[in-house]
Amino acid sequence: MGYGNWDNNAFQAARTFRASRGLDDFGYTADMQGQEYSTWRAHPTLDPRDALRECRDSAEHANSLPIAVLFDVTGSMGTVPRIMQSKLGRLHGLLRHKGYADDPQIMFGGIGDADSDRVPLQVGQFESDNRMDEQLRNILLEGGGGGQKSESYELAAYFMVRHVVTDAWEKRGKKGYLFLIGDELNKPRLAASHVREVIGDRVSQDVAVASVYRELAARWHVFYVLPKQSSYYNDPEIAAHWATLLGERFLRLEDPGAVCELIALMVGVGEGRIDVSGGLADLRDVGSHAEAKAVRRALATRV
Amino acid sequence: MREHVIVVDLGFGDAGKGATVDWLCANGSVSAVVRFNGGAQAAHNVVADGRHHRFAQFGSGTFANVPTLLSRHMLVEPIALAAESVALARLGVPDPLRLLHIDGDALLTTPIHVAANRAREDARGAARHGSCGLGIGETAAYALDHRAPKVADCQDIRLLTRLLDDLAHHYAPLISDRVGSITELVGLYREFAAAVQIVGPDALASFATQGQLVFEGAQGVLLDEWRGLHPHTTWSTVEPRHARAMITALGDRPYVLGVTRTYLTRHGAGPFPTEDPALALPEPHNTFGEYQGTFRVGHFDPILLRYAIEACGGIDGLSVTHFDQHTGVQSATAYLTENGVIDAIHCGPWQDLAHQQHLTQLLTTARPVLEDFTPDTIATHLGVPVVLTAHGPDRAHRVPTALVGTAG
Repeated sequence: MGYGNWDNNAFQAARTFRASRGLDDFGYTADMQGQEYSTWRAHPTLDPRDALRECRDSAEHANSLPIAVLFDVTGSMGTVPRIMQSKLGRLHGLLRHKGYADDPQIMFGGIGDADSDRVPLQVGQFESDNRMDEQLRNILLEGGGGGQKSESYELAAYFMVRHVVTDAWEKRGKKGYLFLIGDELNKPRLAASHVREVIGDRVSQDVAVASVYRELAARWHVFYVLPKQSSYYNDPEIAAHWATLLGERFLRLEDPGAVCELIALMVGVGEGRIDVSGGLADLRDVGSHAEAKAVRRALATRV
Repeated sequence: MREHVIVVDLGFGDAGKGATVDWLCANGSVSAVVRFNGGAQAAHNVVADGRHHRFAQFGSGTFANVPTLLSRHMLVEPIALAAESVALARLGVPDPLRLLHIDGDALLTTPIHVAANRAREDARGAARHGSCGLGIGETAAYALDHRAPKVADCQDIRLLTRLLDDLAHHYAPLISDRVGSITELVGLYREFAAAVQIVGPDALASFATQGQLVFEGAQGVLLDEWRGLHPHTTWSTVEPRHARAMITALGDRPYVLGVTRTYLTRHGAGPFPTEDPALALPEPHNTFGEYQGTFRVGHFDPILLRYAIEACGGIDGLSVTHFDQHTGVQSATAYLTENGVIDAIHCGPWQDLAHQQHLTQLLTTARPVLEDFTPDTIATHLGVPVVLTAHGPDRAHRVPTALVGTAG
């Protein structure tokens, strides 16, 4: 019971107390599942419509580093979204514990299919404490998707370009980290109708996907993580699509439970705090042996 | 007038209080186990019906489904409490947190105290006090001079945040490199307050109307903050004065049940006259602790035990554990000391640490005079009836030899 890493201990304990009150880790999804599908909507704190998300410095956190994790919540992902929801709460503790980032601020969100889903995009706020955990619990796991092997990642990318401001960029010219976790292709084009309906911006023309990602890459280190246990883990078309857009920042992950560790390591490496082998040793250090192995393989099998 | 049982360890701890409490609770007459000292550092091993748990903050009556009341004399550590509730749930206790009632006046032990405790003990190097490294001493010490966070404060987020900020600020010179986020802590304590029943001073009386109370002490009397062998003591009143006071305030009568093994043990630094590393006695549940060091064993010692009984203001009965495990164990008849041969040590004025320091010095170099021993002579050695014996680790191995809770 060492408290060198008390954030994570506090998180686990809070979760135990919450569970004892019958509030499980997927409270909002459970609430929605009890209601008519036609009434499903994003939790108010995660609704992207007319929203602005900010990652700001404060007296306590003077060097804020934005990290956004948006995961696919459609049916093809299988149980992966639930795994994400239960594992990602550790991320902040892991980053802080190992000193990979001084003042990480983390935002979580969910990505669906704007052609067919009630709730195609959910984006939380950048947080540096337990409110992250609340965000995760409020993400609706709609489990939809249209069966056409594409989801609205490009809509999420657009939101990150136009509706997110960070002090890291504005004051220091420093990029944040964006992790997209999913298993399908982008839609063929960023549809103006999706932007209007979901986000509320008055956009009149569709936009090429590659151009959205070019704009995004100017301010964010963008990663795409394809976890096993999703539908298209071994599909070469998916790999080729994302590798073309992101190069070696397309990663396959054989154990979705290791997502937190993979993200922490990529941030640590990106921030120059650690090299890959040192990061893997750190993971084994905190007892994440299986996760270290999965992360090592994810990096070794880069396209 | 009801009689409530106080279970107190007459040695340095690890004698078998937990198992004794579990046995007392097993017959269904006990309405609550009341913890009256210590905190998360307690380690009371209970084996019942094939299940084993090391009780720390939950009362040892939990396997018997008896509620726990953590009294205002307790130091409460919610992170460890959560982990313990998970362990108990895995052992088949349904929703363990439902059994917990916590006095709002009890002090809160936080990771800040834990980090400070470890930083200080690390700095002592070889001169360690034998702390468990769980922040107990820091919790008590800080509360002497500051408005320390208490359990009830978890219901007032703004106040709690201020108190934790003050606490972190106070310890910053010692642990600034180990400090985590206060906001995380506040979030945790808010969940804690919502998950357990935080009660006021009336809770004890209300449990007393529903049945017998068992007061479960932590550690051993020889570690008592005022009667123990200073400075190798705990920041806690281990002898039963607080428990006696709570019972008499109810208008009821205390029955003090002292617990000892057929030999002595000590986990941590400090004098131990009858220590004998050659004693090969099985010890399944106590092992080397990073902050406490090795687990020590020694011969039966009526001199120390009679001192402990005196420190308790007398006791009514004895629960003797390890009745089946005493191979090679002898009994001390006297000590050879720098002041000559002595066969008794006595309490000085209460809270006289100079007296306690003197005893410590005397016992540090004392060498025991040993004689043959059988556990059947324990009642004679200590002048107290043996009312319960244990012939193995399980609840089923306990044998009542007289009616517990009936004087004489």
